[in-house]
Amino acid sequence: MSDRDPPPTKDVVLEARVRAGSAKSEKAPEEMDRRALLRVGMTTAIAGGAVALGLTLRSRDGHEKNRVLPKLKDHRIGKIQGAVEMAIARGSDPAQNVRRAVEAMGGMGRFVQRGERVVIKPNIGWNRLPEQAANTNPDVVAEVVRLVAAAGASKIWVTDASVNTAEQCFARSGIEKAAKAAGATVVRPDATAFREVDVSGKLLRVADVLFPFVEADRVINVPVVKQHGLSGATMAMKNWYGMLGGQRVKLHQNIHLSIVDLASMIKPTLTIMDATRILLANGPTGGSLSDVKMMNTIAVSSDEVALDAFGAGLLGLSPSDLGFIVEGAKAGLGTPDWKNLKTEELGG
Amino acid sequence: MRILLLVVLSLIPPTLIGSLVWNGRRALPTEHATGQARSTGQEADAALKSLFETPLPGAKIKEKVALYDEKGLFDYIDGAAPIFIERHFRKLAATEMATPEGSDLVCDVYDMGSSENALAIFTAEKSANAKVVEGWPEAIAGSMSFVFHTGRYYTKMTAFDAKAEAALPLVARALKEKMK
Repeated sequence: MSDRDPPPTKDVVLEARVRAGSAKSEKAPEEMDRRALLRVGMTTAIAGGAVALGLTLRSRDGHEKNRVLPKLKDHRIGKIQGAVEMAIARGSDPAQNVRRAVEAMGGMGRFVQRGERVVIKPNIGWNRLPEQAANTNPDVVAEVVRLVAAAGASKIWVTDASVNTAEQCFARSGIEKAAKAAGATVVRPDATAFREVDVSGKLLRVADVLFPFVEADRVINVPVVKQHGLSGATMAMKNWYGMLGGQRVKLHQNIHLSIVDLASMIKPTLTIMDATRILLANGPTGGSLSDVKMMNTIAVSSDEVALDAFGAGLLGLSPSDLGFIVEGAKAGLGTPDWKNLKTEELGG
Repeated sequence: MRILLLVVLSLIPPTLIGSLVWNGRRALPTEHATGQARSTGQEADAALKSLFETPLPGAKIKEKVALYDEKGLFDYIDGAAPIFIERHFRKLAATEMATPEGSDLVCDVYDMGSSENALAIFTAEKSANAKVVEGWPEAIAGSMSFVFHTGRYYTKMTAFDAKAEAALPLVARALKEKMK
């Protein structure tokens, strides 16, 4: 404003303000661009940071870190001084062998209390007939179900994460039909059957586990004795692979330590080992009856290492031939010297 | 100054993500397939699948033919996979078949990549009790099973009853013809 100009009237002041406002509004697009850019940048940074944080909080096996997950319970029962620690029954009737061996261990009532929920874990991994000995004998599974029912269990599950198509394995093995007829609920390993569990293993920290293993009060392992291409044999400890979903490749690296790691995670109440028929070659799949040998034997114990050592002998192996037995003993899971246990052998 | 701050902020997440990926989330290094190798692989897959494209005498396919690669093999044969992989296993075609009477059998054809590898796995899996099929030294017949190797293929068939067992040699010979 020059000296010659009259003093501004109220209207002029107003007009000047309006003009100033317009001038300011003419600058606005540049300001807005910068703000928008800043906003986009910040949003990108926050979103990117969140993604990075999410990735950081997830462990390498794809499970979320720092989340409170259920843990597997300890399903064992206390030792009774002087009680039989291992029972072996031989005879042509598999169900009778189960009854006699369990009875020698003190009866199923020693292991399962009235009202408890029990999961029975046979090997139902393969699309094979009972005669082909790739799965647990269905008569053995059915008898275990009957004994558990007679002990007063409120719920009995029979389950396994099959390797071949579950529908085929559960049917062809004869286990689904036999277990249902004996009163069990059969759980097939479909996508809804698994729960994420903190297994606190050395190789596996978090795992997807079939839900009955999370919910059950007692766990009974019912493996079959087989030769195995990679581990040498699959019996009690190796049978826990069938508790998990989707880890097959990973768990076959460093096989012996993986078996011991898994066996350390789950502490079963009892193991009833089926050696009615054993697979001597081409395991774990089998197929040819030429590879099968009738042994008509059932062995029962709470010591999985001892049972695996006993099973190794049936396959013509020494316990020291099998890395998982050696490592299992080192890890304190049991003793390979099963003959030093208080054992009762029942002839046919 | 603001722009500089903006650039720095924007660079943090990609750097962090990139670092995570570089330090542990990347796949194990694999040999990149050349165009020719890829093409050979596709041709081999096609040849493997073609074994089941036309009907075989004695049994027909119940559902589909499933193909398994090295990684997927564990999902089909579990701990038996490494002895195949050690012998340069390439791919498996597996299918369930049924005889006209409705008896089931399983047919697994392993593409071992070469006749030497096929012979190697045949020898490794041959059990002491196996009986060589008369007039066909590359085949063994066990009770409920029939196994043979021809060229790059190693074939294992398993029957689930006597009728299916009786059909195994017929299906095996038809497959052998196709494998030539």
